[in-house]
Amino acid sequence: MSEQDTSLLPSGVTQNNFDQAVEKFRALLGDENVLLEQQQLMPYNKIMMSVENAAHAPSAALTATSVEQVQGVVKICNEHRIPIWTISTGRNFGYGSAAPAQRGQVILDLKKMNKIIKVDPVMCYALVEPGVTYGQLYEYIQENDLPVLLSFSAPSAIAGPVGNTMDRGVGYTPYGEHFMMQCGMEVVLANGDVYRTGMGGVEGSNTWQIFKWGYGPTLDGMFTQSNYGITTKMGFWLMPKPPVYKPFEVIFDNEEDIVEIVDALRPLRMNNTIPNSVVIANVLWEAGSAHLTRAQYTSEPGHTPENVLQQIQDDTGMGAWNLYAALYGTQEQVDVNWKIVTETFEKLGKGRIVTQEEAGDTQPFKYRAELMYGVPNLQEFGLYNWRGGGGSMWFAPVSEARGSECRKQAALAKRILHKHGLDYVAEFIVAPRDMHHVIDVLYDRTDEEETQRADACFNELLDEFEKEGYAVYRVNTRFQERVAQSYGEVKRDLEHAIKRAVDPNNILAPGRSGIDLDTYKQS
Amino acid sequence: MNVDRRSVLKGMALGSLAGLTMGATLPSLGGVQATPGMGADRPVLALVGQGTRHSAFVQGARAANSQLQLQPLDNRLDVMLGLESRLRSSQSMRVMGLLDDASASLVIDLARSAGARVNWIGQHMAEAGQSRHYLLNTGMAEGCARQLSRQLHACGAGFTLNEERQGSAAPSRQLAGPARNTGHPEQWAASIGYLLASLGGRRPAMAPLVTASRTPLTGSFVSFSIET
Repeated sequence: MSEQDTSLLPSGVTQNNFDQAVEKFRALLGDENVLLEQQQLMPYNKIMMSVENAAHAPSAALTATSVEQVQGVVKICNEHRIPIWTISTGRNFGYGSAAPAQRGQVILDLKKMNKIIKVDPVMCYALVEPGVTYGQLYEYIQENDLPVLLSFSAPSAIAGPVGNTMDRGVGYTPYGEHFMMQCGMEVVLANGDVYRTGMGGVEGSNTWQIFKWGYGPTLDGMFTQSNYGITTKMGFWLMPKPPVYKPFEVIFDNEEDIVEIVDALRPLRMNNTIPNSVVIANVLWEAGSAHLTRAQYTSEPGHTPENVLQQIQDDTGMGAWNLYAALYGTQEQVDVNWKIVTETFEKLGKGRIVTQEEAGDTQPFKYRAELMYGVPNLQEFGLYNWRGGGGSMWFAPVSEARGSECRKQAALAKRILHKHGLDYVAEFIVAPRDMHHVIDVLYDRTDEEETQRADACFNELLDEFEKEGYAVYRVNTRFQERVAQSYGEVKRDLEHAIKRAVDPNNILAPGRSGIDLDTYKQS
Repeated sequence: MNVDRRSVLKGMALGSLAGLTMGATLPSLGGVQATPGMGADRPVLALVGQGTRHSAFVQGARAANSQLQLQPLDNRLDVMLGLESRLRSSQSMRVMGLLDDASASLVIDLARSAGARVNWIGQHMAEAGQSRHYLLNTGMAEGCARQLSRQLHACGAGFTLNEERQGSAAPSRQLAGPARNTGHPEQWAASIGYLLASLGGRRPAMAPLVTASRTPLTGSFVSFSIET
């Protein structure tokens, strides 16, 4: 069996020091939980970003099974200055996958900490460990016939609530803003202390998953998208299962319709007539999700031409924009809200409404309806077959939920992507006031020239959006440092001051969101 | 709407227990025989998709290992969870395959969470008589890229190949050959099948030479070799 190339070490760590740390890891975790062989590490190194895999190769991976072991790992890392990159399920795909931000970092994989500690069907919350997947929770809820719904992102069953929430991911139900629904977390700090947020510090408290704020400063948000601690437990609220659920789609034929769609939709989201995280997907997102491929329509290089997009719409009945939403509640509530929704779109004079009864089992309606009701599926992975080649980087700028702004962002993104010969594959995820404008930058990693174009394209997207005052809410590990720059020096200075206070040895995920004591303002 | 959540749950459970795939049952691993002379005594399962089921990949794989079991796979949730359950089982096995990007992404990720070992991930693009390959592999695949390159060069199939060795500090290896003959557009798939089926064992001969079929294998595919 081949062990990892000995030249692959964490930055600044000598071989001797690394070997000593490995021996301690083995004593703490057992040999089977200290992975050093090439074939053990390779599945952690499958990336979709526009660089060689080597740039994100880990030197080792550890699996821990308890909070005490995580504390032990942190202690050893402090002793030997070993940087660790923590993952829960490692399934954020176009946001970086399981690979570490920097070559040589040791992965701490918490997949074996997978206990569902509690699901309370009365107070409607769950408390779980980081390795718990949505699929595991879904099964638990079904087996116990609990009247609650999950909210998850499109990888659904195979992803997990802790990782997704800590990355501030979103889902598609009324509980789709996951960090908003988070309530109470347990965090192992770099000094080994175990900190519980909110009411969690009160001995005997039964409100840890009930009341978010506790007393004094509320620090939960500090641990999301950061490297200030390792989350070992997290609570979150579950939506009570409604008696009636009515998903629907509204299909719009023209790209310019986005202005009217958003302006008509916003009041319905703000006044909670439509309570869930609505999606407005463009034709290529729809096509990929329906498992169509680009090769079925064209073999021309570059971006997919407009006439082909129109052909796809004509062949499939998909729109240039496709809005998916749902109503939840009693029959009376749903009836009233349905009347408001249909009247709104009738008044708009455009948009074809499709109901569940009309759509039947057709895709992509079916998988969208399932996601909005907390039923897992893997349908959206079809996007990876649209162009093929294994490259996927999600560019996710935040937009006002204002039609003109969405049109402006869509046009800007499309222009830049097309300039680089790539497709605009996008969806807007609609909150009452903001939109997550999620664009899947798909490209072919077997083509070095195209990979370089994708890299240049992503940089240009960041640059040009920044000039307009836009920034992304989340990004893959290749571009974390660049995105951190968009948010300004004062914020970065504060983040590094906190880092120095809570992790002076810089052992926890250096580089996460651009926070790295070894590199920030060191040159 | 009445979304039948129970059916999804049952699908997961059945998938986990029986390994249901594409309406057929995964072959019982008890019935999968070890291949003599392969240097590894574990049974070999080859996962294929709709596009690769009858492809040169299978021809090549069978030439190296006539006893490998072929398993069609798609990326339905129950199918994937069934596969993960199999990868987690204590039974030693080797899983190789050539799948579309979506399915392969899931298979490789599930291999990671199941604690399986991965020796080879290949990204392949075949179009207009040319093929491009991006390989990430371990020391077990030493020589494979050169063998693939030699064979494609010998039959005149145009290709480019980039090979990274997992964790290595060495620069990636880049190989290429011009297209001189359009008669073997699927040779890359046959050679990949052959190399993966014989990974870890002796490779006494070259992969079989395959000629163009009526429906050549074009598009994007991912190959892999996983051990449990």
